[in-house]
Amino acid sequence: MNQDIILDVKDLNAWFGNFHAVKSISKSYKKNTINAIIGPSGCGKSTYLRCLNRIHEEVPGAKVSGEAIIDGQNIFDPKADPVEVRRKIGMVFQKPNPFPAMSIYENVVIGLKLQGIKKKSFLLEQAENCLRKAALWDEVKDKLNKDGMSLSGGQQQRLCIARTLAVNPPVVLMDEPTSALDPIASAKIEDLMSELKKEYTVIVVTHNMQQAARISDYTSFFVLGELIEHNLSSEIFTRPKMKQTEDYITGRFG
Amino acid sequence: MRSPETYFKIRKLKNSLFHLVVLISAICVMAPLFIVVAFLLQKGASGFNLDFFTNIPKPVGEIGGGMKHAIIGTMIMVSLASLIAIPIGLLGGIFLSEFGKGKIATLLRFATDLLTGVPSIVIGIFGYLLVVIPFKSFSALAGALSLSLIILPIVIRSTEEILKLIPNHYREAGLALGLPRWKMILFIIVKGHLSQLFTGIILAISRAAGETAPLLFTAFGSLYLSYNVKAPMASLPVQIYNYAISPYKDWQSQAWTGAFVLITLVLGLNLFARTVFGIKKLRRK
Repeated sequence: MNQDIILDVKDLNAWFGNFHAVKSISKSYKKNTINAIIGPSGCGKSTYLRCLNRIHEEVPGAKVSGEAIIDGQNIFDPKADPVEVRRKIGMVFQKPNPFPAMSIYENVVIGLKLQGIKKKSFLLEQAENCLRKAALWDEVKDKLNKDGMSLSGGQQQRLCIARTLAVNPPVVLMDEPTSALDPIASAKIEDLMSELKKEYTVIVVTHNMQQAARISDYTSFFVLGELIEHNLSSEIFTRPKMKQTEDYITGRFG
Repeated sequence: MRSPETYFKIRKLKNSLFHLVVLISAICVMAPLFIVVAFLLQKGASGFNLDFFTNIPKPVGEIGGGMKHAIIGTMIMVSLASLIAIPIGLLGGIFLSEFGKGKIATLLRFATDLLTGVPSIVIGIFGYLLVVIPFKSFSALAGALSLSLIILPIVIRSTEEILKLIPNHYREAGLALGLPRWKMILFIIVKGHLSQLFTGIILAISRAAGETAPLLFTAFGSLYLSYNVKAPMASLPVQIYNYAISPYKDWQSQAWTGAFVLITLVLGLNLFARTVFGIKKLRRK
């Protein structure tokens, strides 16, 4: 297997009850890249993303088939523990959702704390480290004990990113992380993602094609649960091979 | 053809009429509470003094005495009942909200609703059969057990309702951190909403504090200060009941004061639950 490949998805299908939401997707993700997924609403891109850390199965009636291999292990293997999978593949959600009744500091270290790490100095160090990576440290360093909810929407989303980074997953999934934010806060998250790519592999669902074009290395275009086209972002946004892709990115469809 | 002004006036009139109806209904709801409190204040305030809280009843015929024993008895039994019912109620509510599918959950929900609807006198008889008969004695323990059956269904349902209001993306975010489900539920979902859960618990406790019927055949009542949970114990509601139906003027007036103290206690707990814990509403939907 290619050393650069960190996550290898093969023939992934997902259902909600009888509705076939994601159809036979195969795709491998290279280490330290940002991979965008675009497509019209209801095309299964969020569902696909949610399969990759087995959160999809949390929905009643949801089913998955296929393989996704990380560290030589198929995450859908019956013996694979979803808890272990999610430590390797973290996720940032559409709505900023700091945990209630927790300070900024507690929000960042909660993942580590609940994994049983008690050493205060280590936790403090990790909190600073992750808040710096999430470009939030300078804004919150004097108020780490304030409620996480007291931050602005954009800050809350960066706090959620810091929280995800704290458990150190090599792959970070982001489900429309900027769609609830204003353009300035979105720009900050975009800058941050470009930084994150040095250490992590990011897979991001976005409705914003300019965003995909700006920040991603590769882009996948989904329609109705199928992967229509996948390529380098520089290619897909300038010379799309499929007619459907061209129609979508030029705004004639979707 | 009516002029636009007429239409405007008719619309205004309909609106005011509706306002009036709603306002009258609201007053009808609030009035009994104020009337009860005012009545109790008028009848009971005269006996409301330190003696009432520091003395136990005097022998028949002697004027004076207080309800210290009943106040303490109520506190002991309500605390014991809470100790039994709150842990079970919280866990049951968590079960219903977080794992509540399937037959067991449906059954538990049904049983909880039934238990809420069981007349409190029946719960008293249940305590009598279960504890009083086997131990051959009325006891505070039997009273506490009966009261716990009043508290239990309220705590279960309020816990379930509160936890169900919490948006799912918090649970998913907890799981996405690689946490086992039970840790996510306890340390993120439950811990993050303790103040709301406390509100439900305190409302349940205040409900139990005012119950008379479950205690009639269980704790029975007593005229002495007792800390022995295996013996009969006085409680405010039962003491009020006994004094109110007595032929002595002094006892009747003490029953009014007792009722005043009881309603102050219950209203106080309610207000406490709603103001202190109620401020932090679920801030995000």
